[in-house]
Amino acid sequence: MTNPRRVYLDHSATTPVDSRVVEAMLPYLTEKFGNASSVHLFGQEARAAVDRARRDVAALIGSRANELVFVSGGTEANNLAIQGVSESAASHGRHIITSTIEHPSVRGICDALEKKGWDITRLPVYEDGVVRVGDLENALRPDTVLVTVMLANNEIGTIQPIEEIGRVVKEARASGRRHLRFHTDAVQAAGRIPIDVEKLGVDLLSLSAHKLYAPKGTGALFVRSGTRLTPQNIGGHQERERRAGTESVPAIVAFGTAAKLAAAEMSERSHHDASLRDLFETRIAASIDNIVWNGSRTARLPHLSNISFRFIEGEGLLINLDMHGIAVSTGSACSSGTLEPSPVILALGRNMEVARGSIRFSFGKDNTEEDVERVLGVLSQAVERLRQLSPLNKPLQTAIAD
Amino acid sequence: MAYSLTLKDHIANPRNAGELADGNAIGEGTNPVCGDRLKLFLRIADGRVTATRFLAYGCPPTIACGSALTELINGKSVDELRTISRKDLVDAVGGLPARKQHAAALAIETLQRAIALSFG
Repeated sequence: MTNPRRVYLDHSATTPVDSRVVEAMLPYLTEKFGNASSVHLFGQEARAAVDRARRDVAALIGSRANELVFVSGGTEANNLAIQGVSESAASHGRHIITSTIEHPSVRGICDALEKKGWDITRLPVYEDGVVRVGDLENALRPDTVLVTVMLANNEIGTIQPIEEIGRVVKEARASGRRHLRFHTDAVQAAGRIPIDVEKLGVDLLSLSAHKLYAPKGTGALFVRSGTRLTPQNIGGHQERERRAGTESVPAIVAFGTAAKLAAAEMSERSHHDASLRDLFETRIAASIDNIVWNGSRTARLPHLSNISFRFIEGEGLLINLDMHGIAVSTGSACSSGTLEPSPVILALGRNMEVARGSIRFSFGKDNTEEDVERVLGVLSQAVERLRQLSPLNKPLQTAIAD
Repeated sequence: MAYSLTLKDHIANPRNAGELADGNAIGEGTNPVCGDRLKLFLRIADGRVTATRFLAYGCPPTIACGSALTELINGKSVDELRTISRKDLVDAVGGLPARKQHAAALAIETLQRAIALSFG
């Protein structure tokens, strides 16, 4: 099968590295190769670049530069935040509040803590894929030491009421729960919507570089001054003793450059992504029946669309698109005869069949209207082909008509 | 999850897709855990398969195994159908990841059910 043009609609998985970012990082792979901890000129050159990048990333989220810890990515940022706080606060309580739609890294850390005897409350989301602040208020206990709720979801893009949760946490702290901390995973949101850690009222915030047109392997954790955190990497003085290990200077420089570009171009990029996404959705609604929109279509990131195609399974659709050079993703997976449909889609109250038929389309700054048209053509045919094959739609469609 | 090109081709171009109005051996199989479903239609005349169709819902290996199975059984005698193994089918789709072997099992069970229902 020939591929006239590859179309990448999986920007929530990762993004291509911006050429300006590549250009900025290249010298740090060649002549400016120093270790940022070295005293000599080579080291100082690298240190200055890391400091510059730290200021640029800080500016993207409205923090102070010295409140950022560079780490290897979003997963490590989440580990450092949640494990770091839980270890340092364990003597004050062993209760954490999170949500049912967190990224697998946050979910995995909370599950692991639960096995060690911690109490975990998982706030539900409703059909719109958004947590309710009232549920959080009801879940708070005297022994709660951490609230961790993502800023925007990675599968359906829904934006959570972080600012409101921040206010509740602040009030709780003022009324005696002084060890309570608030973390948000902003990996999907950063660079796509404005973020201000002061306005959000968070103590910790996770970032990943490769979601904003920088290379994989770098991220950052915002740690508000005064927040106690047990380091998870020890054996070095880097990152003010909060994360031992030689800094990846080229990747950090790339992250800083990408953050600066994201801040400068955010409104242009958001508008671009949203207009393509909206065109795509309008056209799909007009051309493919029996679809289900997953999550709120208003309180969500501008670049993302999650749709379930009834009667068929997501991975088969993904392969059909992939064979035409079109990249998307699905949250469902089935292995060894056990079904693992997306927990996020199930949390919306959808049944197994709808959860298995979900596909995430995530747009980026280099996509074009031509891409949208091409995907629509291939997608309608693939959906039609799989539905003709499906034993589900014949009786089900009758049942619906009844 | 890496799938073979043969498997992907069965997904993009399923063989013998649909129902068979005058089928005289029909089997239906469901994986109760993951919900994958396969429906197999055979027309058997003078002890041989003269036409086959299939319907499938589920992960790509389930669809590919249904598609490949229809090719594998066409023209075969009923006795030959009884000897088709899971391995034959796995080979026919260009191999299956270890975690997806259940797709071939479901297809073979569905075939055996179709034969048993019609020919005992």
